[in-house]
Amino acid sequence: MTARIVIAAALLAIAATLVLAARPHEATADERVDRITAELRCPVCQGLSVKDSPSETARQMRDLVAERVREGKTDAEIEAEFRTAYGDWVLLSPPIASWSGLVWLAPLAAVAAGVVLATGRVRGGAAVASAEPSAAERAALRERVAREEAAEG
Amino acid sequence: MSAGDLGAAALRAALFLALWGTGAAAYASWRRDARALASARIAAGVGFGLVVLAAVAMMFALATHDFRILYVAENNARETPLFYSIIGLWAALEGSILLWTAILAGATAYVAFRGTAAIPRLATTALVVMFAMLTFFLLLITTPAADPFVRLALAPDNGNGPNALLQNHPLMALHPPLLYLGYVLTSVPFAYAIASLIIGEGGDRWLIATRRFALVSWALLGVGIVAGAWWSYAVLGWGGYWAWDPVENAAIMPWLTATAYLHSVMVEEKRRLLRTWNLALVIATFSLTILGTFLTRSGVVNSVHSFTQSAIGPLLLGYLVTILVLSVGLLLWRSGRLRDAGAVGAPLSREAIFLFQNVIFMVAMLTVLLGTLYPLIAEAISGAQLSIGGPYFDRVEIPLGLALLFLMGVGPQLPWHGASRATLERQFTAPLACAAGGALVAVATGTTAIGAVLTYALAAFVAATVVQEFARGIRARGVLHAEGALTAFANLFRRSGRRYGGYVVHLGIVLVALAIATSQARTVDAERTLAPGETLVIAGYAVRLDALRAVHEPQRDSVVADLEITGNGASSQLHPALVQYPSSASAVGSPGIGAGVRDDLYTILAAYDQKALSWATIRMRVIPLVSWLWLGGAVVGIGAVIAALPAPRRRIARQVPLAEAPAPAK
Amino acid sequence: MTLARAVRIAIVVAMLGLVVTLALAFRRDPHDIRTGTIGKPAPAFTAERLDGGGTLSLSDYTGKVVVVNFFASWCLPCTQENPALVRVYERYRGSDVVMLGVVYQESRDSALSYVKRMGISWPALADDDGRVALSYGVFGPPETFFIGPDGVIAGRHIGPIDEGTLITGIEALRREATR
Repeated sequence: MTARIVIAAALLAIAATLVLAARPHEATADERVDRITAELRCPVCQGLSVKDSPSETARQMRDLVAERVREGKTDAEIEAEFRTAYGDWVLLSPPIASWSGLVWLAPLAAVAAGVVLATGRVRGGAAVASAEPSAAERAALRERVAREEAAEG
Repeated sequence: MSAGDLGAAALRAALFLALWGTGAAAYASWRRDARALASARIAAGVGFGLVVLAAVAMMFALATHDFRILYVAENNARETPLFYSIIGLWAALEGSILLWTAILAGATAYVAFRGTAAIPRLATTALVVMFAMLTFFLLLITTPAADPFVRLALAPDNGNGPNALLQNHPLMALHPPLLYLGYVLTSVPFAYAIASLIIGEGGDRWLIATRRFALVSWALLGVGIVAGAWWSYAVLGWGGYWAWDPVENAAIMPWLTATAYLHSVMVEEKRRLLRTWNLALVIATFSLTILGTFLTRSGVVNSVHSFTQSAIGPLLLGYLVTILVLSVGLLLWRSGRLRDAGAVGAPLSREAIFLFQNVIFMVAMLTVLLGTLYPLIAEAISGAQLSIGGPYFDRVEIPLGLALLFLMGVGPQLPWHGASRATLERQFTAPLACAAGGALVAVATGTTAIGAVLTYALAAFVAATVVQEFARGIRARGVLHAEGALTAFANLFRRSGRRYGGYVVHLGIVLVALAIATSQARTVDAERTLAPGETLVIAGYAVRLDALRAVHEPQRDSVVADLEITGNGASSQLHPALVQYPSSASAVGSPGIGAGVRDDLYTILAAYDQKALSWATIRMRVIPLVSWLWLGGAVVGIGAVIAALPAPRRRIARQVPLAEAPAPAK
Repeated sequence: MTLARAVRIAIVVAMLGLVVTLALAFRRDPHDIRTGTIGKPAPAFTAERLDGGGTLSLSDYTGKVVVVNFFASWCLPCTQENPALVRVYERYRGSDVVMLGVVYQESRDSALSYVKRMGISWPALADDDGRVALSYGVFGPPETFFIGPDGVIAGRHIGPIDEGTLITGIEALRREATR
């Protein structure tokens, strides 16, 4: 019984911390610049973001983003300005709205298909209880595990 | 006779021997002919010696700056120090493939001598596969596409020198050979798997025989990946260690399937299940190493400003297609014989968790593959040019990684077949309490990213399960064998190395997860242009620019910023620099890194006054816990060594006659 | 079993797709960048002249063919292409064709000495914060843009340009203007 109380309390505590971490908060200007530049591809680097790249071009792009943020432009407007100049190439992840959004769907579909295939091979949940050994069997099993461990290569 | 001539001749002789070996091994396998096998063994041994000789000849040519050889002229200069000259063997394509071939020849010799002694028929057939692959690589490096010993009509006075990024850090000596070893050694389990399919063997002998090889190649791949991350952290100068670059993706994909295999292999050993699946994983792992080599060496996926285009692309693609067609074809053809003995247990059984874990690993691999290739697909279909980078991979792979972390804590705690509610309570009460503790620690230390909080909780969860396992194992040994706690601890490793070594690996992964989550969520950076004497303040650290000076060395010119960093109880001097090599157009940044258990201080000289050295733009990143990543990689390596070491007492019978060996009783 | 059959077919199809994608990738030229500004109105800019001759705006040249060339003295291909630019500039001097140079990531001093040394007599403009280059989506110098009389970017050349390409680009736009 105490075990169940501990488990319930632990799950509750974890849920509480997650809610605490996920609570919405107003992003500061710097956070917005970081967020936007992390999504932009540095034109002169090997796949680095504008946020990460130490290159001169990336620095100029960061300055431009910071200025637009100060001017009160939205994230989408700033992103659109770079897309006009560099095309969709400049976005490090394809926009979900376009047909390229399929790449976002693929992992979900793959997980779903995989779980369906795997579940098909797993015995039904009803068998769980009967598969469970009694206390005496468990003691014997434990000893067998110890033996296996001792013999394992 | 120069070193170059010797190397070129050795490779051509080795090619002849590999061809001969392929035929001899095939005949030996078909007719069970001992003399043909002996002949193939000699071909493997001598061939290995010849390829090593060629590699040493190339190192010698590099060390002695023999610019009559094109490869040396392009990747070496008189000023290149001896150390970087020698490791120039893997500084470019042709040399890398030579190294690759040498490792493959070594693996072939191993199968020829040790493998065929243990299980003759299967290993002899595997030897045919090894020889065939070796023949391909020897063909590759003896044709103009990738011949490392191509001569120049007129030797230049001096060479171009190695790529600037490749002569800037000693980790370059470690990271590529580790990765190549990992890549190439996956070919041994692959060869056995194919052999088992060819001779139509339904059993698990191929898997038992190559279990250790699979583990070692997996570990080398993993440690090589971490070493590569460390190299890019220490050299590339942006303060990160992973950018989802095609080269990195090429390395992580086979590692993902190999990890899945290491777990599902246990299901086959213990429960005689998943036979087809394990074969598929071995084939996938090996094919992905070739796919990765193709992607990174053919120049099809690359940034717009890189100019490497190579003629070996079509050859590697042909090789990849051959492997896929033959192995997948064999697998589909033989899959009827690969009946599983029984069914997977309940959803809360160890084998079921392994199954779900395999699903996640496969999805993780497939999304990396999709993300890497998607720009190619999109351009082929619609002509649109777009990018897939960090933001995509992070959003997809991090949730998958968290799911894997969770399963890593759950799986080993569940018995085979299924678990009761009592078992679940016994196994998970303490770990769940620790998970809550981990989440609270994350929030208390100011972590606001939800992924990082989850990572802390799951890391504590997994660590607790591992500690619980060790505690129970020690107690069990104490009761059963009357051992003291320390003796019992040591004996867990000695007697059950595979299991407890595996737990050590899990602890290493926990360290890596904590390092990634913390460094991703809590890195701060700042940039300022400073005159000497001025200070930049960031996250409680004060960075003072003491001086800016020019340094001249024979092989390069640098401008170095001397920084004095104080704060948070630490004080250190760092020297970020911009380095100009004669061979490269632009200067290469060399970061100054102050490594610490808690924070790494990462400083970059971004720009400076070229006229009077009167100012410098300094960028500083404070990256917490990143050194735990390298530590975690080392722990994973140690765990793998513990798991791979043979346990005392149990010996595999050797020297069985070729005619036919009975399957070893398991 | 139908599921197993479906899985098999899926595997074979996926492999085929993979191989076809990889094979198609060979036809791809990493230099061929078709993104960004082509076919759109040329981003307006006003910039200071390097020679101290005040500022200059793109809008001053509406109705003319404008060639905008991004360059830097540290860029080796720029020095390679420069003679072609000089010859083409001389060829169209005094006509309705305008050539503008924009400095890419370089201090004004060193760019000015390069301009003098290389005989660049068309207006060279400073772009200290890189805003002009960013608005045109420049990847790196040299890059050359062809802007028609209607103010729309008609063409873009990445890397060193030769005389023929320059003249073809300019003439196409002049024909369009007279039509």
